[in-house]
Amino acid sequence: MPIIDGIGRRGALSLAGAAALAGKAHAQNPTEVKIAMLVPLSGPWARSGLLEQMGARMAIDDVNAAGGIQALGGAKLRLMEFDAGDSAEKAKDAAQRMISQEPDLAGGFGCWHSGFTLAATEVTERAELPWLTLSYSDLITGRGFKFVFQSSPTAISQAEELLPIIVDLATRASGTRPTKVAVVGSNNPAVTSFLKPIREHVLKDLNLTLVADEIFTAPLADATSIVQKLRSGKPDFVLVQSDNVGDDKLLLEKFAEFGLSAKKMPLVGGGGHWCVPELIKLTAPENLEGLIVGLADWPGKAAADIDKRFVKRTGEPWFGHDSIFAYAHVMILKEAIERGKSADRRKVAEILRTIDITSGPATLFPDGRLAYDEKGRRKGAKICIVQYRNGKPVPVYPDSIATGEAFWPKTS
Amino acid sequence: MRIGTAENLRRDLTILLCLVVIYLGFAWLVPNSYFQLILTLVPIWAAFGVSWNILSGYGGQLSFGHASFFGIGGYSMTLALVYWNLTPWLGIPLGVIMGAVAAVIIGTPTFRLRGHYFALSMLAYPLAILYFMQYFGFQEVSLPMHREAPAAYLEFSDPRYYTLVAVGLLAVSVIVCILVENSRFGLALLALRQNELAAEAAGIDTKAWKMRALIVSGMIAAGAGGLYACVQLVVTPDSVFGLLVSAQPVVMTLFGGVASLWGPLIGAAFLIPLSKLLDAYAGDYLRGIQGVVYGAAVIAIILAAPDGLFWTFRDRFFKPKASAPLPAPEPIAKGAIAPAASGVPLMNVEKLSKSFGGLRAVSDVSFSIAEGEILGIIGPNGAGKTTLFNVLNGVLAADAGSATLGGATMLGKKVHQVCHMGVGRTFQVVRSFPRLPLIDNVIIGAYGAGLSDHDAAAEAIRALHRTGLADQAGVPAGQLTNKQLRLMELARALAGRPRLLLLDETLAGLGREECDDVLNVLDRLRQEGMTIGIIEHTMHAMMRIADRFVVLDHGAVLATGRPRDVVEDRSVIEAYLGKKWLAKQDA
Repeated sequence: MPIIDGIGRRGALSLAGAAALAGKAHAQNPTEVKIAMLVPLSGPWARSGLLEQMGARMAIDDVNAAGGIQALGGAKLRLMEFDAGDSAEKAKDAAQRMISQEPDLAGGFGCWHSGFTLAATEVTERAELPWLTLSYSDLITGRGFKFVFQSSPTAISQAEELLPIIVDLATRASGTRPTKVAVVGSNNPAVTSFLKPIREHVLKDLNLTLVADEIFTAPLADATSIVQKLRSGKPDFVLVQSDNVGDDKLLLEKFAEFGLSAKKMPLVGGGGHWCVPELIKLTAPENLEGLIVGLADWPGKAAADIDKRFVKRTGEPWFGHDSIFAYAHVMILKEAIERGKSADRRKVAEILRTIDITSGPATLFPDGRLAYDEKGRRKGAKICIVQYRNGKPVPVYPDSIATGEAFWPKTS
Repeated sequence: MRIGTAENLRRDLTILLCLVVIYLGFAWLVPNSYFQLILTLVPIWAAFGVSWNILSGYGGQLSFGHASFFGIGGYSMTLALVYWNLTPWLGIPLGVIMGAVAAVIIGTPTFRLRGHYFALSMLAYPLAILYFMQYFGFQEVSLPMHREAPAAYLEFSDPRYYTLVAVGLLAVSVIVCILVENSRFGLALLALRQNELAAEAAGIDTKAWKMRALIVSGMIAAGAGGLYACVQLVVTPDSVFGLLVSAQPVVMTLFGGVASLWGPLIGAAFLIPLSKLLDAYAGDYLRGIQGVVYGAAVIAIILAAPDGLFWTFRDRFFKPKASAPLPAPEPIAKGAIAPAASGVPLMNVEKLSKSFGGLRAVSDVSFSIAEGEILGIIGPNGAGKTTLFNVLNGVLAADAGSATLGGATMLGKKVHQVCHMGVGRTFQVVRSFPRLPLIDNVIIGAYGAGLSDHDAAAEAIRALHRTGLADQAGVPAGQLTNKQLRLMELARALAGRPRLLLLDETLAGLGREECDDVLNVLDRLRQEGMTIGIIEHTMHAMMRIADRFVVLDHGAVLATGRPRDVVEDRSVIEAYLGKKWLAKQDA
């Protein structure tokens, strides 16, 4: 070993020191910063995951085209994609894999489906990885976790906010106040959270009678008996709380078959899946006409440019709920890294806990503010309402994003 | 423990210890938390496989719904933690108790069914429970985090500790399985797997053993489910009660080797890493392809090794060891053998009847068998001979009449209870336990009669000597000739120290010389004072062996008496050969 002998012990030490220094320099100014996306890319919820993927990839490209992360010497932002699959345990396994394969993640977001998010955040929380989510369930931020940030209004607040708006809308548009409501929904955690306050007090507060209450396990095989029961209750409107595109289509077509299409019977859906573009391809557009959807975010005028570029880039007919959230989450993580001047996950989490801005990524939400409370819920998160008009969802509430006036189908 | 299993016990425990040490040594070197998760899941699923193997592998009671127990273990632990803040260290044992309770509740109605019906009914339970869980709002329950005292709540930041606990659980399960395998429990299960009726006739209370097997199995499965929920951090009905969960132990055990101690371990060690690694790597290239590759791999290996990897390898690479010579029979204890022929009736049958709808299979049959006598029961096909035996040993219930053995009634009892009264029975079609050595096939009869381990071994050895099978004691029953199998059945019946043997066509399908060998054995038994009722078609054999004949025709007794007299009886000749033949003889 003449070479090593020649260098000697002192030489070896200085070499090691140099390597350590190089490592430190690397940590100070990484050439790239990794963030993770864990969404369903296979299985029944894959379509929503793919829409998130499109939004996220576009955001990454936008960041890198604008010079990367300035605070870190223009380091490129890199998206690590993971498939949450079709069950909570697959999502949890994937989260475990993500944590072990990518030890230097700065943060991440997902998993669209509340059940998957609940499972995956059990892992990300233990790894102290800041995690952003669009999932609605209140349980997600009800566990005392410190590293989970929920950008949507939670299911309970959506429920409390949505029905008064709908009743008000109906009264204004039709001249009579609705008194009877029917509910159909899956039993996933987000829907369960959503329906709980409705059953407990919202209906009573609004003097509404629940004439039918049909809960099923997704995916649905047949909707005939459900729709029959709903119809026999003769409701003034129906809350349709399904949780995936396939079930949406099945329910809509069954409603139409029984003469209850959204034109005749006001249907109020909930969740981003009601506004994924292929719903319009899967079912006849007239089945969707007039359908009202409550969801957690929708692009308004502030996102018009992103909207246009997204449609051009992806060929999708519009930039919707799932994509704008993914876009926003990438931008929020980027903002946090810039502000903390660090890609360290704990630093990123610290910034997210204290950030309170009304510019940049905050403009991607209808209320225009980005701040999270001590539970990790976004302060002032508001529900958005869109309505299908001529085969396209048109935002009608709140005013900050509305481009059209809502109408109430005439019940015969 | 059974006599002669000490060596097996030592060997299996040594292998287990080595496996545990090697596995933990390997696991300690793996820092990656995803691979560590795989290493934790392997022993958990293996323990679940071991549990299924006890009921369905050894006992042959195919269950497609073992997820019931797995899920009950998982949910008991989780709900106790969420609502009572009960640490999983106690929650898992609580789940194990719940598993035992569930086994009793599920087993009581379901063991009334057999075969496919049993398998399919078992499938219904987890699916039903799954909907209950959803109904009660337990779609997804996450385990609360305990940051202040993680280890006290079975929460580890170093995932290797989970592996340690999982290996501990598996070791306990395997030890339970070793104890079962090497005791009368295991033999009883193997016996009822091969043929429930034969097992019952050998005196085994199959219903009770099945229930015990289900309880043990349910407890282990619940333990595995509890730990699984701990590792997964979240339970959903689908993840613990789902169809795939029920399929998991079946697939793993079939893959590794059914009714072998190591089968489920081999299956889990191959399949769990395969599916998880496919999820991790193949799924990144082509979403969903992992399921296809996994299915193809399972099919390929099952085709190449249809009995499971363990048995295929064992049969190919290990020749069974030549067994040690059988010790000489112990001197017969006083009172263990029946007194010599005395002419006193041992069994009395009075006006026994049994109908199937309009068909009177047995009609007003009366006869008796004296102590030390060989009674031949003959008659044309369909005369009701086998039905008569089935009524006598409790397989069928009599419609009318009485039957007593030494004064005690034999009717209205279960098969194994009749056996306990001292009635040994063989069947028209031999039922053996092919993978078991001859001696184990025979010892089942002794256990069935309720003998202690020591007496059972001694009695089995004696029975082998009495039937001339002493040299084949260590040969698996699957390698015996037809004659040896017939004698084996006879030995199994003898091992239970019967007072009366009911032999159903023991000579069927044997050549003349083989026939003589068996007859010589029966002759010897008579000299020893055994009382025998035998159904047989081979007339020359019957003429040689029987002291007396009872002739049945259309379910009724046609004639009784000494063989020579009976065969010359006109009505008997008519029954066998027809009126025309008789007329020709007369002419």
